[in-house]
Amino acid sequence: MKFLERRLLHAILLLIGASLLCFLFSTLAPGSYFDEMKLNPQISSATVAALRSQYGLDQPLPLRYEHWVKSVLHGEWGYSFAYNLPVRGLVVVRARNTLLLTSLAAALAWLIAIPLGVWTASRPGQWEDRLSMAGTSFLLSVPELVVALGLLYCVIRTHALPVGGMVSADHDSLGLWGRVRDLSAHLIVPVATLVLASLPILIRHVRASMMEVLQAPFIQSARGHGIGRMTLLFRYALPAAANPLISLFGLSVAGLLSGSLLVEVISGWPGLGPLLLEACLSRDFYVVVGVVTASTLFMILGSLLADVMLAMADPRVRMDNV
Amino acid sequence: MFRLGYLLSLLFAGLSCFASPAPQPAQKGEELQVSDNAVGRYGGVLVVAQRSEPKTLNPATAADAPSREVIGRLNADLIHINRLSQQTEPALAKSWTVSKDGRIYTVNLRRGLRFSNGQPFDADDVVFSFQVYLDEKVNSPQRDLLIIGGKPIQVQKVNQYCLRFTLSQPYAAAERIFDSLDIMPRRLLEKSYQEGTFGQLWTLNTPPAEIAGMGPFRLKEYVPGQKIVLERNPYFWKVDRSKNRLPYLDELAFLFVGNEDAQVIRFQAGDTDVISRLSAENYVLLSRDADNRGIELSDLGPSLEYNFLVFNLNDLSSKHLDNVAAKQAWFGNVNFRQAVSSAIDRQGIVKLVYAGRGTALWGNVSPSNKFWVEATLPHPARSVEHARQLLQSAGFSWRGDGQLIDHQGQTVEFSIITSSSNAQRTKMATLIQDDLSKLGMNVHIVPLEFRALLDRIFQTYDYEASIMGLGGGDADPNSEMNVWLSGGATHLWHLGETKPATDWEGQIDQLMQKQLVEIKYDERKRLYDQVQEILAADVPFVFLATPNILVGAKKNLANFKPAILEPNTLWNVEQLYYSSPGAQP
Amino acid sequence: MTSRRKVIGASSFLLALHLAILFAGFIAPSDPASQNRDFPFAPPTRLHFVDAQGRFHLRPFIYQTEPAPEGLYEYLENRAQAYTVRFFVSGPKYKVAGLLPLHTHLFGVDSPAQIFLAGSDSYGRDQFSRILYGGQISLAAGLLAAGISLLLGLLVGCVSGFYAGWIDESAMRLAELFLVLPWLYVLLAIRSFLPLHVSPAETFFLLVAVIGTIGWARPARLIRGIVLSAKMRKYVTASRGFGASDAYILRRHVLPHAYGTLLTQAALLVPQYVIAEVTLSFLGLGLSEPMPSWGNLLANLQQYSVLVSYWWMFLPALALVLVSLGYLAVADAFHQQLQSGSM
Repeated sequence: MKFLERRLLHAILLLIGASLLCFLFSTLAPGSYFDEMKLNPQISSATVAALRSQYGLDQPLPLRYEHWVKSVLHGEWGYSFAYNLPVRGLVVVRARNTLLLTSLAAALAWLIAIPLGVWTASRPGQWEDRLSMAGTSFLLSVPELVVALGLLYCVIRTHALPVGGMVSADHDSLGLWGRVRDLSAHLIVPVATLVLASLPILIRHVRASMMEVLQAPFIQSARGHGIGRMTLLFRYALPAAANPLISLFGLSVAGLLSGSLLVEVISGWPGLGPLLLEACLSRDFYVVVGVVTASTLFMILGSLLADVMLAMADPRVRMDNV
Repeated sequence: MFRLGYLLSLLFAGLSCFASPAPQPAQKGEELQVSDNAVGRYGGVLVVAQRSEPKTLNPATAADAPSREVIGRLNADLIHINRLSQQTEPALAKSWTVSKDGRIYTVNLRRGLRFSNGQPFDADDVVFSFQVYLDEKVNSPQRDLLIIGGKPIQVQKVNQYCLRFTLSQPYAAAERIFDSLDIMPRRLLEKSYQEGTFGQLWTLNTPPAEIAGMGPFRLKEYVPGQKIVLERNPYFWKVDRSKNRLPYLDELAFLFVGNEDAQVIRFQAGDTDVISRLSAENYVLLSRDADNRGIELSDLGPSLEYNFLVFNLNDLSSKHLDNVAAKQAWFGNVNFRQAVSSAIDRQGIVKLVYAGRGTALWGNVSPSNKFWVEATLPHPARSVEHARQLLQSAGFSWRGDGQLIDHQGQTVEFSIITSSSNAQRTKMATLIQDDLSKLGMNVHIVPLEFRALLDRIFQTYDYEASIMGLGGGDADPNSEMNVWLSGGATHLWHLGETKPATDWEGQIDQLMQKQLVEIKYDERKRLYDQVQEILAADVPFVFLATPNILVGAKKNLANFKPAILEPNTLWNVEQLYYSSPGAQP
Repeated sequence: MTSRRKVIGASSFLLALHLAILFAGFIAPSDPASQNRDFPFAPPTRLHFVDAQGRFHLRPFIYQTEPAPEGLYEYLENRAQAYTVRFFVSGPKYKVAGLLPLHTHLFGVDSPAQIFLAGSDSYGRDQFSRILYGGQISLAAGLLAAGISLLLGLLVGCVSGFYAGWIDESAMRLAELFLVLPWLYVLLAIRSFLPLHVSPAETFFLLVAVIGTIGWARPARLIRGIVLSAKMRKYVTASRGFGASDAYILRRHVLPHAYGTLLTQAALLVPQYVIAEVTLSFLGLGLSEPMPSWGNLLANLQQYSVLVSYWWMFLPALALVLVSLGYLAVADAFHQQLQSGSM
């Protein structure tokens, strides 16, 4: 239990640290949300100043932070200047959309990476391995951005899939099956981009740790005992290789909310990415703080999950912590 | 019995969610406006893509363009500016008279009209709305429009359908003020207003039943991050010549797609039916296979916007900006500014930035502003020679390697800041950088994030030159008062002047103030022409170019009459209909 | 192929690429900033070997590109006259590594024809030249950021792993914090704060230094791991017994273990940071006009019309992929050698 207590304390400290730093940064970036109105010749600067003070933008930083913390405890997470709504509502809806995208992509990436990594590790130096290494090298070299743009280009040219957004305009009028198909069609491009971006690293790590394990004496002896290939790989080697992979999985979970910003922006997926980007650029900073805090929360959850899974999977870790 | 009726009406209400409300038959005593468009047929959904999400549905607090685009379809104003003719016409007000001194407007409302929720509309709603707009605690962006001569406009109810508006001084374009001052339902909003929570009203999460307006549509549903759908207002107060109540369309849907390119993609794929303010490259792209896709593109001619290069002439004595202050010796010299203007390849800008679909500008009034443009102003062709002569006469000279130096031997080097999100202005900056290098000037381009740019322009004055754009709001010069008045909030080259810094700025002040209160158009035009001449001579802004308004729509969308003024394509949305079965819900 | 040969092979490939980019001025036919306003978005010039009479020439030649009468951005070849591609021609001046002024170029054509090997951009500037010059900036950015990251990571990792205890704890917590925050905000802030008379190149490199600084967390973790395990070895304990100072132990016994990892990390980080530069440019924080970098060349693809109509604007990605592949090959080779070389 001490372990959990320590982690909880550490999590709270991290959240406070992240939100404080966010507030600090917000004072660094010049300009405020209402500056855009200054360009309109028909709005006086007095109105702009009045709006600023109405939303508390001219209060000192510690006071604003205090108000924000109170707002978080009330479940509102601050107020968006742009939408005139509590941040929580905005963030929750878009976080759902992002999670749909990223969890699907993460699941797919892992489902592909594990068998592929295991397989190539079992045939080091052969053509499958060489091909996979070349393929992953190539994918690692292409920036995620270019992958997204390239896929977009292909889709646009071939008119194979709808471009942009989460659903079509007439989504509501489709039947259940129609709606699932519509959503899937829109998911294909962003999910493919995310999978292609994360796959090479996962495959390489799986391969690397599997190769290390496959050298171990106990595997040799198991082979000597005549244990079948598949069983050998998946029941004996993989669990032993799981240690670094679990940490990596924890990182995948940690990045569920924050890893897809660019892809969402490019493919027009209505998730947290575009919300954060627009909020950053328009200085709607309670939204920024809210999104960052939510992402931090996921990061903490991710590493917590990794630690718990590690403790379950690897007895040595359990021993150390007890 | 009562309960059965209640249940039945609930059932009916529930069922009718799935169908767009049919237009109500005209009632006795309802004074409807007859719209003289071609008679159309009912039905269809118009889908439009917006670059970013609307933020609110509250007419008094909305400041961003996407919100205003939606709000404008949900509400109506007393006197409306017809976007095509650029002149005012009656809307909710059926007629009005002006007193001899031009200060008192007596406005007669149409009788028998109802809001989109069936509640009656009368003068109380108008009084309430203006009260909200003028309220200092609400801080509506439109409040300043109603402050004439330093005092707010006064609104009095004469009777149930008549009001009197009193201004503190005669105001030339007073009628135009009323455009886009949407009338809100008193019965729905008064309570919250009195409790001081008006700002939180009519956010996007508000249930449709709580929102009502006089516009052609009313709110049907909002899906966060994705779309907002409007349905026909069954009580809308316009009819066509055959007495059919408008609008023809059943629904109007706004999709949020994120940026202009996404708009183009959707339009090209046929997901959306109308697109507005295309950039030139996208216009070229769409026109390549327009026929195959059943869309039609239109080039409406120059917009009202003007892009310009502005030099920092602010008073920097209280700021520690010695670098910039030293360069103001160059910027402040009118020959320097004229030389820059002479060396700029405006045709190159039109060609490369607007793909030829733009117009070079030498003044702030675009050629499409037919009532106010000074057509006889000279449009000098580009001449690097002439620019060199001007620089020489201003005391500049050239070193052996071609670099320009001033009379003290300093190399002429400065930076131009632009908004990094505005690709066109950054492109203009790059072209200008190249042009000015032919004069031996060393120009850096610094794209800044938009708000950082605004901060430097309005707050810190820490910049040397910038490319910006203004205008495009209304055709009338009064909308530009704050730009040209020396104390104005958008007098960008020299903000915060308590008195005019130069003679010519003083002259502009006098001319603009005169035309503000001058009622007769011819005299106003004469005064404004003089302002344009002064601007051409003293170039506080080096005017560059204006893009053409490029729009597109599906071929089977009838009554589509795009205009230069915003909203370019939806200003007559109540008249639009599908001539052949296009999109049915 | 032995791993040693692999290292040599991959390194030579990388070196060749870098040399080509260093000598961009020589290989590129045009100045990267010179605009040809009559030729926006001209497609890559076709090289011909067979002329109109059907004769084969060893030396390729081109026809002059002309704007087509019907539309903007449409071009035709003017077959009236052929221009041979000449080698070692004289052209616009350039400086090798900013020092040596020369004006001989690898290839070119007689004026008024122009050769756009990789097409032109919206101002009519030669993309091929811009890709080469852009590589200079992008690679410098990648190397700078990777260097800073590694240096900081080494420092923190060593101190953290060696001294352990609360220093280690707080360093690792700080690392987590660094990984979480919205650096976009910071970058925007920094960008907006810089005085304007800082030249655009300096601004850009400052931003690059910042992203390098932000990225110390991962290398730090790795180094820490190595230091922790090296610290445990018997000879370190023995060294201490002989009275060796901390600095001596770090330098002589611990750090050598880290060199291999450092090199591999370096080879992995450089392409990562080059890619980060592309992302920065996409978000509007890249190098400003008219200087090219692979990031701001690719940022043109953000516009839908460019993405769909002018395929040659994708070519900087090809250069990027080649360089990344080179670095990854080197990293793999180092890694293999490390594994085979060490126990």
